[in-house]
Amino acid sequence: MTTRFNRRSMLRGLLGGSAVCMGIPALDIFLDGNGQAWADGAKLPVRFGTYFWGLGLTDTPTGGTRWVPTKHGAGYEITPELQSLAALKDKVSVFSGFRAIGDGKPNLVHWSGHASILSGSAPGVTGSFDAPSFDTRIADAIGGATRFKSLEISPSGKALSYSTRTGRAFATPETTPVSLYERVYGEGFQDPNNPNWKPDSKVMLRQSVLSAVADQRQALMADVGRADQIKLDQYFTSLREMENQLEIQLQQPEKCEACIVPKPPGEGKKSASIDVVNSNTKVMARLLAMSLACNQTRVFNCVHTPGSSETYIAGDSKIYHQYTHDEPTDAKLGYQPMSSKLAGMVMQGFGEFLAEMDAIKEGDGTLLDHMLVMGFSDTGYAKIHSLENIPVILAGGANGKHKAGQHIATKGESVTRISLTAQQIMGAPVGEFGVGAMKTSRPITEVMA
Amino acid sequence: MRGLPAIAWALASCAAMVGATMFAADSHVTASAQTQQRTDVAGFKPAIRRITESQYRHTIADVFGPSIKINARFEPEKREAGLLAVGSAELSVTTSGLEQYFALASSIADQVMDEKVRATSIGCEPADARKADSNCARAFIKRVGERLFRRPLSDADIASRVATADKGATQSGDFHAGLKLALTSLLIAPEFLFRMEVAEPLPGATSRFRLDAYSTASRLSFLFWDTSPDSELLAAAKSGAILTDAGLQKQISRLAASPRLEDGARAFFIDMLQFDQFESLNKDAATYPKFSQAVADSAREQTLKTLLNLLITRKQDYREIFTSNDTFLNRPLAAVYKVPYASSKEWTPYTFPESSERSGILTQVTFLSLFSHPGASSPTRRGVKLHEIFMCQPTPDPPADVDFSKVQALANGTVRTRLLDHMTNEGCAVCHRASDPPGLALEHFDGLGQLRTTENGVPIDVTAEINGKKFTGAQGLGRLMHDNADVTSCVVKQAYSYGVGKAAGYRDEDYLAEQTAAFVKAGYQIPKLFEAIASSPEFYTVSVPAGLKVAAGTSKATP
Repeated sequence: MTTRFNRRSMLRGLLGGSAVCMGIPALDIFLDGNGQAWADGAKLPVRFGTYFWGLGLTDTPTGGTRWVPTKHGAGYEITPELQSLAALKDKVSVFSGFRAIGDGKPNLVHWSGHASILSGSAPGVTGSFDAPSFDTRIADAIGGATRFKSLEISPSGKALSYSTRTGRAFATPETTPVSLYERVYGEGFQDPNNPNWKPDSKVMLRQSVLSAVADQRQALMADVGRADQIKLDQYFTSLREMENQLEIQLQQPEKCEACIVPKPPGEGKKSASIDVVNSNTKVMARLLAMSLACNQTRVFNCVHTPGSSETYIAGDSKIYHQYTHDEPTDAKLGYQPMSSKLAGMVMQGFGEFLAEMDAIKEGDGTLLDHMLVMGFSDTGYAKIHSLENIPVILAGGANGKHKAGQHIATKGESVTRISLTAQQIMGAPVGEFGVGAMKTSRPITEVMA
Repeated sequence: MRGLPAIAWALASCAAMVGATMFAADSHVTASAQTQQRTDVAGFKPAIRRITESQYRHTIADVFGPSIKINARFEPEKREAGLLAVGSAELSVTTSGLEQYFALASSIADQVMDEKVRATSIGCEPADARKADSNCARAFIKRVGERLFRRPLSDADIASRVATADKGATQSGDFHAGLKLALTSLLIAPEFLFRMEVAEPLPGATSRFRLDAYSTASRLSFLFWDTSPDSELLAAAKSGAILTDAGLQKQISRLAASPRLEDGARAFFIDMLQFDQFESLNKDAATYPKFSQAVADSAREQTLKTLLNLLITRKQDYREIFTSNDTFLNRPLAAVYKVPYASSKEWTPYTFPESSERSGILTQVTFLSLFSHPGASSPTRRGVKLHEIFMCQPTPDPPADVDFSKVQALANGTVRTRLLDHMTNEGCAVCHRASDPPGLALEHFDGLGQLRTTENGVPIDVTAEINGKKFTGAQGLGRLMHDNADVTSCVVKQAYSYGVGKAAGYRDEDYLAEQTAAFVKAGYQIPKLFEAIASSPEFYTVSVPAGLKVAAGTSKATP
């Protein structure tokens, strides 16, 4: 493999979706006046991620909202539970008043909300979605050229992800900083900035291992029932993704300006207490951010704390979930003080996560400017498992495609409108999303550039 | 082998009609490789299920020896109808899962082909270790492949792996490097990672089906030993003997008499008692300073040792798990139970005295800590899990919009007071009336399972009442569980569902009632229960899955 890296091949690669990092040196002549796009209009790489936290935010029927800003549109004010987002306010849009609509299906507590947001359909049973989660559509649209089509992390230590292609089998996340590090920077990792790159002959041998299996696809699919076909299909999809990974390893990686291969992290603590979960979130966010900057993946899904979250304040005998249900509403304050305090602490994790994305300089901005993160929860007001007013946040500039820094308020619009918006901002070929009352073809154009 | 020639399909259907004897003849088929039948597509596949981590580990140890190290993270499993064995039918292999399986397969292949062991592990020597040797590769792939796929490999399967081995050997100038690749590809194949059962028509019936001989061997092996069939089972499948009554009984007796029955029983109880939840067990360090990963691992092992000793070694009455105080302790656990540990051995038998208030496995650290909060006990969780696990009575989700406004946070008193508030709300009471009493009876044990008699300085009341029956404390609860008929029928139902990998439904009610009666008559012995279930035709009966059409008189299916 000789010097593939020249302007022509790079531009062709970018347009073809195979090259993704900005080359070094990125001569100004390649960039347009804004430094956000190549001179011929092709954009810098865009990444997408979901970030889930459990138990919503506080917005009580008695009017004691702790998160919904009063001001609509740009320049909204920072509310107590959104305090951790203050520093990044201009890169964050807040969505309030959106709801999941059950269409007569029961409210499956700590499940229906995010299942609706991700799959567009109110689920029939806890533990399954009725449709794939939409992050997989975005991964199909933008994730094909990187080593990992998507990466999943779960800093609370529970092996839990809500990303699914089948609605039944969910992705397996990395649950510790060490396992995330090993997955990305262990065997198979190629430093994009290594000047002495050579193709690894072992990779071709590994390809032959996979092709022996792939050959059996048709024979195996022929006489299984519908449900098993879906499972085998998932298996062979995984196989294809591995083949793709190996294919990519045989090509010289494009240089990545912002990529600095991180050092291995220490063994993190294992605990569900909020201080430990947040500190693991921060360490994993840093590793993840570099995985994006080093062009190992373009899509990720993070579950900070599960739907019925077990997190708690160290030393306290009650967990957050119990507080949301048991704690009386303070008559004077109009909300549950401990629950609200915990909600703020949970959001601290999100704020720090985004700060790690924003800390990496890339092109004329930061990594966060070249990505879109959709943060959301399973419920609105957790005390009553409300599916109304589920908090949703879009963060990051998405290469200028997201008009960030706004508060979009509605009264009972479907959450799927935000999911559709995210998909369209990311360029997934999706015209409508959701089923039944949650079916929509109306993205939220106010935040789309 | 895409698109088999029509003649192969005809042969295959024919084999299915005639039955097992045709399968036996498979290896002697003299037709060219092009037209040779595939035993694995002779009939439709009623269901496929991903093998569990312990089945994977057992199979590798059986095929390649116990010294093979398996260092990997397995994909999470899923519980349905109370069992991972049932949920396994919903699982597939995700991208990160396949990466893990791939890395693990490479590591196993490296160990098998290690210079020190390869002479015995491969079974033949290449003519020249620097070149490809198709014959030696083929012999190895055939022998090992049959053990891993749990049935003979098709010619196409063999040919593709021999090609991989040859290509790798030629490319690297190393026969063993090539064979490593072939083995890796067997170890990541769906036929290994999924249990793919195959159906054949029930003799004398046209549209009713049973498992074929090899699938029968697998079902037996996984139930009794939690592993893939050994060579004796595979031979009984090949000859068709396993499909005869006498042949089946011979295998059942052999499997049940083996010490490896402990592996099977252990896997069953890990599943039924939901011990996979230990993976994510957290305790607050300030509240429970004695908790550690060592305590969690030891507790799990303690309960398993207790169960296996009582039910498999001593063949005692299943119901005694709620009343027997015979157990085993190690040093980390002795500290939690506040028992002096004098033994120099890692584990030692121990019997809790009456004064300990303990009574069977419900009062061991496992149950008490798993079903509590990180910093407190939870009578409701304990009660809910007791009903779900031991009585097959799942509790519905709580109502979404329940009004908790009367419930006050209590810094004083006991948890009983707080729970009584639920009892005054009819929406809550329906479930809490059932779940809370057993949990309240266990309140002398804190969230880690340590004995205590007061909470916030107030004595804890452990009296309770279910369906008009009053009882006191853990020992009263243990006796109540011992005598509860639902407890007996539940273990029968779960053993059957576990074995067939499918939730028992209303169609199975008569069958399960018969099996329960037989279990009672046989003295509530778990090994006898496994044998009785494995001896019944229902254990091997399968139906056509949605999305397939089966040609009349065959088990050949088309979408």
